[in-house]
Amino acid sequence: MQPHLKKAFTLLAIAIIGFIVVRSFIVPVSFGQYGWYRGDAIIDSMNFEIRHAGSATCGEENCHNSIYSIWIDSKHKTVNCETCHGPSEKHVNNVRIMPEPVNDTRDFCGMCHFKSAARPEEFPQIDPDTHGENLRCAYCHNPHKPWFV
Amino acid sequence: MIGEIKMKLSRREFARIGCRVIIGATAGSAIIESIVTNSVASEDPPKGEYDWKEHLWGYVIDTRKCIGCGRCANACKLENEVPFDEPVYRTWVERYRELKDKDVKIDSPNGGINGFIDDVPAEEINKAFYVPKICNHCENPPCVQVCPVGATFSTEDGVVLVDYKYCIGCRYCIQGCPYGARYFNTEKGTADKCTWCYHRITKGLLPACVQACPVGARIFGDLKNPESEVNKILDKERINVLKPDLGTKPKVYYVGLDREVR
Ligand code: HEC
Ligand code: HEC
Ligand code: HEC
Repeated sequence: MQPHLKKAFTLLAIAIIGFIVVRSFIVPVSFGQYGWYRGDAIIDSMNFEIRHAGSATCGEENCHNSIYSIWIDSKHKTVNCETCHGPSEKHVNNVRIMPEPVNDTRDFCGMCHFKSAARPEEFPQIDPDTHGENLRCAYCHNPHKPWFV
Repeated sequence: MIGEIKMKLSRREFARIGCRVIIGATAGSAIIESIVTNSVASEDPPKGEYDWKEHLWGYVIDTRKCIGCGRCANACKLENEVPFDEPVYRTWVERYRELKDKDVKIDSPNGGINGFIDDVPAEEINKAFYVPKICNHCENPPCVQVCPVGATFSTEDGVVLVDYKYCIGCRYCIQGCPYGARYFNTEKGTADKCTWCYHRITKGLLPACVQACPVGARIFGDLKNPESEVNKILDKERINVLKPDLGTKPKVYYVGLDREVR
């Protein structure tokens, strides 16, 4: 073999080794475990913190059992507690941490109930200008059971 | 004289052979090691009780039920730390209004999080409806194909995720998504997207948006379970996906989709 070829091959070999060594340092261990990505990224995504606890948790023994029991057979049973009260997983884990104060304005109920052309007609909607004499909705309706008398 | 030459040659020869052996052995073992440790697909699912081989997640949106309250988009931002002060959404609600003059107005003020205001009188509207949008978790995801570093991928259970530690923030995937479902998260400095709340569904909970929907317009479930609600709807209803001609094979199925919806 001619010397310039040998030199070229040696340089190539060094370059390949350098590449492999550098690669083994920067490519994470779990890369390629399941496919062309870092396998541990799945664990990272699974371990993200949960914020919404779910209505069933609110209704547990010694918690908001009474509100839960009227809510569960009301017209609002499809509206989960945290849809109005905000994420409460922290509150479930430590009752001293209160959820955000509930938005009890007319506009909040109105996001679901104010008359809107794009809403399905059969959904109960009211005209904000004429309904309820501009009072807070909860003045007449119990948010936990809208037809509670 | 001859002995001397021989000695010189063999010394050189020795060095040469020695170098080759060392180089060859290192390269060989490094190559073998890199193949063995990395590229062989592991059969084991991720650790823990959740077995991703038992599930294939799917999502149904019934546009006929949506009331446009935007509680889904709000719950999503709260659950997933999506910046509230930026116009970025993992899921959002669009309003379609076909006017009497056949003009179609499409809008989504703040993703629907603050609700919608009727700024066109009802008399001028032919038909109007809301369309919730979310990442389609395509079977053939263009965003995964374009990622240069393998920082976004499809899981065995059919969810497209982002690796936030590995993403270099090049935004190719944001450009690549034909549904506009990806955004740049300025707080993380990476691309970001809906995960179908992977941290929730792997623990048996529903995605935050599905839980927040007050009218059951969003239905989530396991396509591998014949008894699941998504499968019952797929069997019974006329369903559609967004941009089917792109061949992305979305796993978000729409019921009652209007032809105007893009
Ligand atoms: C439609 C929205 C809505 C839903 C759904 C809802 N709440 Fe409320 N909640 C309110 C409002 C509004 C108030 C404030 C009542 C008032 O101002 O009179 C309130 C007040 C409360 C209070 C404090 C007042 C009291 O009576 O002690 C508790 C506790 C509570 N809710 C628990 C729950 C639980 C548990 C659920 C689920 C089972 C739930 N809420 C579902 C809107 C809601
Ligand atoms: C997240 C959406 C949402 C919010 C917010 C909400 N509701 Fe409702 N409301 C519903 C749904 C869904 C129903 C059930 C509708 C049905 O049965 O078709 C309902 C039913 C009702 C009904 C009974 C209507 C009927 O025809 O029987 C009343 C009254 C009512 N809500 C009042 C309120 C009040 C007052 C508030 C504010 C405290 C409020 N809602 C907030 C979604 C909401
Ligand atoms: C002054 C008391 C009062 C206030 C305040 C009030 N409502 Fe009502 N609401 C009623 C009564 C009474 C009815 C039943 C008669 C009717 O349909 O008007 C009713 C009916 C409803 C219905 C059912 C309508 C239907 O067609 O099925 C909804 C929805 C509703 N209210 C929502 C609200 C919302 C949202 C607010 C706050 C913006 C509110 N109400 C404030 C007294 C009130």
